[in-house]
Formats: sequence, C-alpha cells, structure tokens
Amino acid sequence: MSRSSVSLTVQTMGSHADRLPDETLLAGLGAGDADLAVAFVRRFQRVVYGVALTVTRDPVTAEDVAQQAFEQAWRHAQVYDSRRGTVRAWLTTIAHNLAIDVLRARTSAPVDPAELPALLTAVTETPERVAVARDSAAGLRRALAQLPGAQARAVAMAGIYGMTARQIAVTEDIPLGTAKTRIRDGMLKLRAALLPEDVEDE
Amino acid sequence: MSELNGMSCAEFHDSAAELALGVLTGRERAEALAHLDYCEACREHVRSLTVTSEKMLSLLPTAEPPAGFETRVMDRLGLAASAPQPLRHRGWRPAWGHGFSPRRVLAAAAVAVAVLGAAVGGWGLHASTAPAASSALKAGTLVAASDHDHVGQVFVYNGETRWMYMTVDLESGNDTVICQLVGANGHITTVGSFRLADGYGSWGSPAWTGDGPPVGARLVTANGTVLATATFSAST
Repeated sequence: MSRSSVSLTVQTMGSHADRLPDETLLAGLGAGDADLAVAFVRRFQRVVYGVALTVTRDPVTAEDVAQQAFEQAWRHAQVYDSRRGTVRAWLTTIAHNLAIDVLRARTSAPVDPAELPALLTAVTETPERVAVARDSAAGLRRALAQLPGAQARAVAMAGIYGMTARQIAVTEDIPLGTAKTRIRDGMLKLRAALLPEDVEDE
Repeated sequence: MSELNGMSCAEFHDSAAELALGVLTGRERAEALAHLDYCEACREHVRSLTVTSEKMLSLLPTAEPPAGFETRVMDRLGLAASAPQPLRHRGWRPAWGHGFSPRRVLAAAAVAVAVLGAAVGGWGLHASTAPAASSALKAGTLVAASDHDHVGQVFVYNGETRWMYMTVDLESGNDTVICQLVGANGHITTVGSFRLADGYGSWGSPAWTGDGPPVGARLVTANGTVLATATFSAST
C-alpha cells in the first residue's frame, strides 16, 4: 500500500483504524501516520511485550526490548513481505531476536533450568477459548506437550532462549552430540505436527 | 582466510534444526548456509523447520505491558499524536543489523533468495557435494587494530548469490560501527553499519557491490578509526 493510499484510508476511516487489517496498520506505521501507528502498537503490544518478558524475565528490560521491537518495525516496515508470513509472526520474530540479543550480552546463563517446567506448561496449556480449535497452534501445543521431557527442554532452550547446542550440553550435563540430537528430533516431531497445513512432508 | 569444506546433506540434516532456530554458530552455520546455496531439497527441509520455529514463538504467552507503554513507544518514534510528525530519514540502511538479528533472518533469506532464483530460472542445481559452492565461501578472522587480539569472524560468499556475515566482540562500547570490504585493487567499499551492545554485535547483508571477491574487511568507527581488520587470502 502506498503512503498516499494510507492517508486516504485514514481520512476515510477516521477513528476506525483499529478495524483495519494488520498490513494496513504496518504500512501506516512505516509511513509515519500517528493514528495508524498507535493502532498498530495497541494491537500488538501484549504480544510483543509477552515475548520480551518471557525471554528476558525482567519487566524493565522487557519494556525496552518491546519498544525497540516497535522501533524496528517502524524502520523496516517497507521490507515486510506478506508472502513470508503474518505481521504478527514478523513482529514476534523481531521482538524475539532483540530479546535473545539481550540474553547473549548477559554474563549469566540465558535461563535457569528450574524455570523451564513453568515455561513449558505455559506454552503447552491451551486457553479455554481455543480449546476446541483445530488450528496449527493447537496442534503444535499438543505436539510440544507430548515430546519427551528432555527433547522439550532442548527445543525450548534453543528456540525460546537462543541457547546453542553447546550451551545446552553444559546446562544439561550431557554430551554435545546428545544435545544436538535432542534439538533435531524434537523439532522434527513438532514439524510433523504442522503437516500438512503449513509444511510439506519430504 | 580459509576455505570451508562442503557439507553433505546428511551433515546438514543433523544441523538443520539448529539453523532454523538461529542457534547454529560460526563455521558450522556458514557451511550450512553455503550448502543451501546448491541443495534445493535441504532448502525445503530448513524452510519447513523455520516455519515450525516461528509457529513455536506464537505459543509464547502474552502479557500486559506497564501503564504508559503505548505513549512511550509513540514518543520514541517521534509520532506522539500532539507533536508534529517529522519526516523520517530514509537513507540507505543494511538489510538487517543489531536488533534485527540475522540469525533466523539469514537462514530465511538464503531460502527466499534460493526460491526466487529458482523461480526465475537462474538457480543452478548442483550435486550435493559440489565443491564449487564451498570454494565460494571464505572466512576471515577479525583482528583488533589496538592489540591484535582476535575479536570476531567474517564470512563472505561470492557464488551465484552474494552475502556476508560478521560477528564481533570488542568487550565494550555501544557505538555504531561501519563494515567495509577491501577489494583486490585496494578500493574500500562501505557495506553497512550496525550498533554494538557492550562491544558485541553481529551483522549480515544479502549482497554487496564491487568488482570481484573482496580480499579483506575492516570495521571502523563513524569517524573512520579502524577498529579491526580481516584478511582474506587464497591459502587454506
């Protein structure tokens, strides 16, 4: 969407910006339109802050990460490609990458292993309102819940906290090869849970 | 500078999940990305794993940010409703830099570029162990100008596509640094910039301009002071 069409949309829609599609709000954010930008922030702030807080586990740091994520979305709005995924997924990835950067700059361990069970419970329990949903997220939750504990931990440490196989091996006191195998096998099982909706089998 | 050995499909599959999750590091990641350049089957394999990793992030719980968050974001962007809306500088910037981390993006970009190449018929498929691809991948060690310590790595790929990736850890500093490539004729090309966080930063770009493969790289400050250099030689 061009900037002129964004402006036209705002004039037409007035205060109804909150009803516009995600892509339109992102285009407005990138164009510097205050009305669309605030609607964009309002729509995604809980998602972005949630990712930041889950990864950094510190409210102050999480807010800074979340603010940076919206700033990055503003700066890079024009490179968003809807063919590669949703706005939510794009923004989530930006926030997650920023949070991982914070973890890697710390000298302490990215995550306390004792906190992993609570995290895995949080990401695998299905909210009541979507308990009957048969979408890919529900399937992925079930698959993650059904992973052997060691594989679920390895996938969470790598996928959520950005830990390398070597870091996981040290944390879990296991050989490096075992850590790599747990990541691989866990991810392959999760991928299978998404078939055939999102990915094709090989 | 050393050339990197080609990675087989079996070796790639062992590391594909880590690549998709953005936790593959250093030489192993560079070799995996080089393998993707010429193996369509593995591109599809890692694409599906990347989709899986992104879906997994969607499971993370949401949380209500502190009061005033929305206002602070708008202030940060200079888009506060009561304030004049400034025109933004939209000069050249790197495809991604610190904060827009290349970990997942780099893998995704490699897949996307590959798919695009295939779509326009320009993507050549080679045997999974084709040596030509690996020889196009060069790695160099960044050496600090101040004390000659090793402070990072630079990977440059000059095959049918071009990309580069660098990591640096200067231990301190939060300044913006500039990445430059040095051509065979000594010509220096500025490729992009990124901001350090406590001395650490990583940055990648899917392409650069210039004639032929570079022979070296430099990391300089905004005022041109050379922080570190890497030399790419033909020796292995």
